[in-house]
Amino acid sequence: MNAPTPALVARPERLRLVGQRRQFLGIMHQRLMVGMLLFGLVIAAVLLRLIWLGLFGDHAGRQVGPSALLPTRGDIVDRDGKPLARTIDSWTVALQPAKVIGDKRVLAANLSRLMPEKDAAGWLAEINSGKTFIYLRRRAAPRLVQALNALGEPGIALSREPDRLYPQTDLAAHILGHTDIDGRGASGMERAFDDHLTDAATRGEPLVLSISGRIQQALEHELLSAKTRFNAIGAAGVLLDIRTGEILAMTSLPQLNPNIAGNMDPEAQFNRATLGVYEMGSTFKTFTVAMALDTGDVKGMGQMYPCYDRLALPGGRVITDTHPFGRACSVAEIMMESSNIGTALIAAKVGGERQRQFLKQMGFLDRVPFQLPERSRPLSLKAPWGEADTMTIGFGHAMAVTPLHLASGYATLYNGGVYRKPTLVKVDARHPAAPGRRVFSEQTSYKMRSLLRLVVTKGTGKKADAVGYRVGGKTGTAEKPLPGGGYSKTDNITSFAGVFPMDEPRYAMVVMLDAPRATAETYGWRTAGWNAAPTFGRVVARIAPMLGMRPDLKRDANMGEVLPYVREEK
Amino acid sequence: MRGFREVGWVIAVAGTTLGCYMVNLRVASERAALDEVSNRIVLAQRDIRVLQTEIGTRGRLEQLESWNVRVLALSAPQAHQFLEGEFQLATLAAPQKQLDPSAPMVLAAAPAQPKAVVGGAEQGAEQEGRAARDLLQVASLKRELPASADEKAVDKAGQAGAKPVKAEAKPATPAAADKKIVPERKDKAAATPAGAAVAATKAKAKPKAASPTTSTKDSKARQ
Repeated sequence: MNAPTPALVARPERLRLVGQRRQFLGIMHQRLMVGMLLFGLVIAAVLLRLIWLGLFGDHAGRQVGPSALLPTRGDIVDRDGKPLARTIDSWTVALQPAKVIGDKRVLAANLSRLMPEKDAAGWLAEINSGKTFIYLRRRAAPRLVQALNALGEPGIALSREPDRLYPQTDLAAHILGHTDIDGRGASGMERAFDDHLTDAATRGEPLVLSISGRIQQALEHELLSAKTRFNAIGAAGVLLDIRTGEILAMTSLPQLNPNIAGNMDPEAQFNRATLGVYEMGSTFKTFTVAMALDTGDVKGMGQMYPCYDRLALPGGRVITDTHPFGRACSVAEIMMESSNIGTALIAAKVGGERQRQFLKQMGFLDRVPFQLPERSRPLSLKAPWGEADTMTIGFGHAMAVTPLHLASGYATLYNGGVYRKPTLVKVDARHPAAPGRRVFSEQTSYKMRSLLRLVVTKGTGKKADAVGYRVGGKTGTAEKPLPGGGYSKTDNITSFAGVFPMDEPRYAMVVMLDAPRATAETYGWRTAGWNAAPTFGRVVARIAPMLGMRPDLKRDANMGEVLPYVREEK
Repeated sequence: MRGFREVGWVIAVAGTTLGCYMVNLRVASERAALDEVSNRIVLAQRDIRVLQTEIGTRGRLEQLESWNVRVLALSAPQAHQFLEGEFQLATLAAPQKQLDPSAPMVLAAAPAQPKAVVGGAEQGAEQEGRAARDLLQVASLKRELPASADEKAVDKAGQAGAKPVKAEAKPATPAAADKKIVPERKDKAAATPAGAAVAATKAKAKPKAASPTTSTKDSKARQ
């Protein structure tokens, strides 16, 4: 009854093989299906993409879009829109010696004929030098390119490269700066605004500078003719709009051509207006008197000071005047005749600390905070300075600033007493004027007008008087410091800092000549009244009509405030 | 028939697809043409820019300045070369007042009193007074003048010139009656200052100066 226990029975071999085969087939079918699906998906994706491109895609032939005019580097223009720097495509010619198939001697002879800077032997040596790539000429003239192309030599490669061009050549060269061989800004505004000029989002719009090309040209030309006439080694000039702080013109001589800036003399590359620091001499006296008026140490233009022939400073140094009074003199007379003694006495009244505060507020102790990278820190004594130093600074020595500092100081004093940062970017709706800080009171600013005008009508700056434009200004002559210490007895830095029109000041300008020589025209004088002052007058007479000013012989500053305190010499 | 429906569908879909593709192709070709125009515009703008740069470089301010220094020698205007306005400009262009010797003489201002008349002018005294008054009225323009007022005034002025009234008149010289004195009269007239109390009025109608007497008086009045 007991059922037999099932014995372990193996499946017949044949059956087992059949089962395995089916299984394999199944797997193979599955894999094939997956493979087909994959192929199908890829084909479908390609088809879909083709359809998509066909319906919505860009045209294949499209190469240059409307944005192709976007220059590789933005333009720089003056305030009237005149281009000062542009990027153009220029021809570059290069030689690849390995690809030269013709006779190298003939090629060298042809090259020396077309580019005579090297003779045939020189060019042959260049070709055989083993270099793979030689620049024959960058910024090549079209005629040369045509002639080189006509040689039919495959080793000569012609290509177009973006190149920075300064169409106005020397004009405002120190402001614009230049670019290096890779097209990056190397100096000036090119360097300061390098990101702005290369960024695709901003380079389409030109960078508008505050300077005016015509005014800049007038200033440069007059300064250059003064430099030549007086045989000076250099010159600088700055013109500021005192209401906005815009630099309308700024130049430094010797001239610099930014198109070949790398090959220029270092003397020409040096920007005297912002990098050179000079003791400005008597032009500082205006600030000393203004400080004393502001603090109340000078009550009025008639206040008297003992201006005798000499004055011993606390350290024992003795100072004298070039036009000695030999009597007591009024504040008006001190300014008019540029008395060192009188100004030193006024500065002593103001005191060293207050003097330093004023100078700090006017920005005379720091670099000028504006766009150019080339700017110098003024040289000044370490605070606190003693009384003798206060008196010395009072008449413009023992402290060296740039001409731009000086122009900015005059702008501060005569725009109502508010310091504004100078700027090289045009002030408009997008770039509002920098906020100001008050340094002098409005009253002081007003009172100083007639004082400065007096210097030009009756004092040392008579030659700066451009008839009808009511020029006010101050001459400054300082001996040039020698490299080994001490001061030169023969070389001066002469300057004239002024404002016009004096009845309603609008523009401040500084003109400076470096080491002018005496001429027959100046009767042997080398002082500012004989060279810087007439240059200033000539510049004003030329640029004032461009600035929209018209001469008026009936208007003037309120001279009634100062004339009663000037003794008429008989 | 059932089988053909499917074929129809395929044909319809294929046709529609082809149609769409044709439209698309057409649009693409139009777009390409537009791009071509845009490209040409851009290239033209680039050329303009290059030319502007070249012109700007050749005519740069420094170059103009050197031409001015060498050739033109123009300089900035001086203060006295600026004018206040149209009136000052008009004064520069105002014609110089020139005396016409043949014009009759009239008093510029107040009418002459009949009593003050000297010489042979008594008979015309009343007429003279009226003539002067009329002139004043013409000058002031305070009343409406008759249509021929101008001519009348001129006529009267002519008469007034022909018979001048002058208290300090010098006695006539006999030789002055001759017609030969005409050039001399001109000289004398030219020597009379423009701003003097007497003014010459140009008369269209010649004064009745044909008679030697009146011409003598005229010449005397001008002295």
